[in-house]
Amino acid sequence: MSELRPGYDPEADAGIIPLAPGLLLFTPAILLGNAASGLLQYPEVGAAVLFPPYAILTGALVLTARRDWIWYILLGAIAHFFTHWPQWTLTWVVLADVANIARALTAALLLHWAFGGPPRLESVWALGLFILGAVMVGPAVGATLGAADVMLHGGATTFWVPWRSWFMSNALTGLTLLPALVLTIAGAPSLWSRRIERRRILEAVLLTVALVVTCAVALLWRGRHAWHVALPLYSPLPVLIWAALRFGPAGASLALTAVAFGAIWAADRGTGPFAATGTDANILLLQVFLLLTTLPVLCIAAVNSGRHKVVQLYHALLASLHDHVAILDAHGIVLEVNDSWRRFADSAIVERFQRVGVGDDYVAACRSAAERGDTTAIRTLAGIQGVLHHESRRFEMEYDDEQDGRRERYALSLEALARPDGGVVVTRANVTARRQTLMQIEEQRRELSHLARVAVLGQLSGALAHELNQPLTSISSNAEAARRLLKRQPADLDELDAILGDIASEDQRAAQVIRRLRALLKRGETHLQPMDTRELLSEVLELAHAELITRRVTATALVARDLPPVLGDRVQLQQVFLNLIINACEAMNTTAAADRRLTLIANADARNNILISIRDFGTGIPSTLLERLFEPFVTTKPEGLGLGLSISRTIVAAHGGRLWAENNADRGATMYCLLSSGLLRRDGDTPTQPLTLESSPASISPPAHHSLAP
Amino acid sequence: MPLETSRSGHPIAVAIVEDEASVRVGLRRLCESLGLKATVYASGPEFIDSLAVGGDPPDCLLLDAHMPQMTGLEVHQHLVESGVLVPTLIYTADDAPEVEARYRASGVSGYLHKPLAGDLLLAAIQQAMPPA
Repeated sequence: MSELRPGYDPEADAGIIPLAPGLLLFTPAILLGNAASGLLQYPEVGAAVLFPPYAILTGALVLTARRDWIWYILLGAIAHFFTHWPQWTLTWVVLADVANIARALTAALLLHWAFGGPPRLESVWALGLFILGAVMVGPAVGATLGAADVMLHGGATTFWVPWRSWFMSNALTGLTLLPALVLTIAGAPSLWSRRIERRRILEAVLLTVALVVTCAVALLWRGRHAWHVALPLYSPLPVLIWAALRFGPAGASLALTAVAFGAIWAADRGTGPFAATGTDANILLLQVFLLLTTLPVLCIAAVNSGRHKVVQLYHALLASLHDHVAILDAHGIVLEVNDSWRRFADSAIVERFQRVGVGDDYVAACRSAAERGDTTAIRTLAGIQGVLHHESRRFEMEYDDEQDGRRERYALSLEALARPDGGVVVTRANVTARRQTLMQIEEQRRELSHLARVAVLGQLSGALAHELNQPLTSISSNAEAARRLLKRQPADLDELDAILGDIASEDQRAAQVIRRLRALLKRGETHLQPMDTRELLSEVLELAHAELITRRVTATALVARDLPPVLGDRVQLQQVFLNLIINACEAMNTTAAADRRLTLIANADARNNILISIRDFGTGIPSTLLERLFEPFVTTKPEGLGLGLSISRTIVAAHGGRLWAENNADRGATMYCLLSSGLLRRDGDTPTQPLTLESSPASISPPAHHSLAP
Repeated sequence: MPLETSRSGHPIAVAIVEDEASVRVGLRRLCESLGLKATVYASGPEFIDSLAVGGDPPDCLLLDAHMPQMTGLEVHQHLVESGVLVPTLIYTADDAPEVEARYRASGVSGYLHKPLAGDLLLAAIQQAMPPA
């Protein structure tokens, strides 16, 4: 729980008070403190009930940088020296000074080590560390040296009596005055920087009045009965707890200090419950009383302050969240909502079931809206019940909502609340803008992909004209031959029939070419569908056929016979492979015509992934470009734009596949495209045989007019 | 229908080298309907081989410019280099002026665009052949 990490960091040795104002504040305080320590003393050993110089010096050390400590220690020693010299002998005073310095230094070092700066008493653990350093170890060190000093100068007969009185007075000081000083001074800057509410000032004034009245009753009122002595002792307690709960450790320790000084002042004047006998034992009783009052009050203050911090953080966290947040208990009752949720629920435009606030039953609200047929409510209800019944830890959905004629998109997420009592955190975010951006990006991607496709076709235009000219030439030759045949007598009807048959089939072929071109040129939505992988690849090779001939590239296709179907968008995948084939051809521009070979290999692995590789015998890819090749505007071609491969990779990635390049060991490069099959292998099925090329090489048959086998 | 004849009085023998079957058949029919005697070959090497085994060179050679293995121009150059002098026509779908210039520079007798019109083809053949 504690954020304390004991240890001293010399780098962070800043201190919150600089030397000059520190000394200005310290000098009058230490003089006043020394004077006040003479107020009530043990008659036997001369130790005070409360020893303010200890708190003042330790407080100064805790609040300042270590390099300045020497000044406070010197000043403190001088002030103490001249308070008691020449009443005390020189060595007595000097040794008492040494004891004072050792005590303050021990406490300050321990507090620095524990808190790394001014102590913050915001948990019992922190209070424990503070007590260990400033109330136990520091005063014990001082008491040991001080008692030795007293013994040395014959001030006491036993070591224990002066030790106890020194220890008690400093422990009491460490528990009341020290936290009051340190916490007030350390907290002062944030007090100035904030505007303090008038209600809070009024409460502080009232508390002070109440404290004065109760102290007066406790210390000054003399009753006749025994209970008149005991009862008033506890009368300040409610006021002290008030201070602890409302003003934290700083307020509590200030109030406790006031009570302590009041008690000492009264006892010194011979009034109040501790003035009855005026002996060492009586002073001890006063100290024990003050210690036992202080300890629980400070504990309450520390625990409450820690809780207050957590609650403050919790509210600040909720308020800072832009999304609408509601916390439901295990039954769906709203425990807490943040400001965004409240504002959203208060706006009249939202559906009624979303207008729930703290204390409302969200599940019931959803259910009644679901019964009216609200689809959003039906889905929300199903999600909430799933999370509430521990069927899932998380539920997410998006839905559209009409508001003022505007269509808004919301993302609702339900997350199980990680606590023993269970519950759900409901988060709702308006994702209209995000979705619009995503849609724009998708639209731009499609646009770009289309442009790239058109560019690919532009590169192929000469070859495609040839592809279209072939059937046209055949048709025109046949048609003209038929016309001339018809003029002969007798006309050869069998030949005419064969001619017309050829014309019809060549016409179909031309139409097919046009259809494919149209599909590639069209801007369309993405249509994922399973398709025959062989068919896809043979179509691509047909489209590239004329280009391959023009470039004098001999293409070989080795496609496994029982290749599973691929799930994808036909046009986009054709675009990818056309692009890869054209790139491979261009890579071989400087290769001797006889060596311009392109090999396309397609096979599937045991998990029905399809690996298609396109290998060229060109110049290969410079190693510096191998990684960046798929980035936009990176190209190896002098006239290339560098978009083809980046768009191809985007397309393949959108198909859940991978596209990468490798240089071949001998020459040229190979592009690999890994695609997942539309055919999912169920567990228990025998896996598809890994297809080795040796065992089942198969040439694609449709493009019979180009070289298919090496 | 009269057959187009050469100087020797025989029908003009035309060899057609075309890699694509449907075009090959179409051109053979066209030539035959024009009264020519047409022989077809699926590739340049096939035609060259036919000469090597002692076949008579045709009166006119019709070459597709765009073929795998050997382009039309390569077939023509091969014939020129090996001393076979045949009037040669090259046809292509590519109508870029620089392509035409390249073919003309190579010494072919004629250059035709696809699709081939019968009368233009006949005129080109007659023009390509040496005058009687």
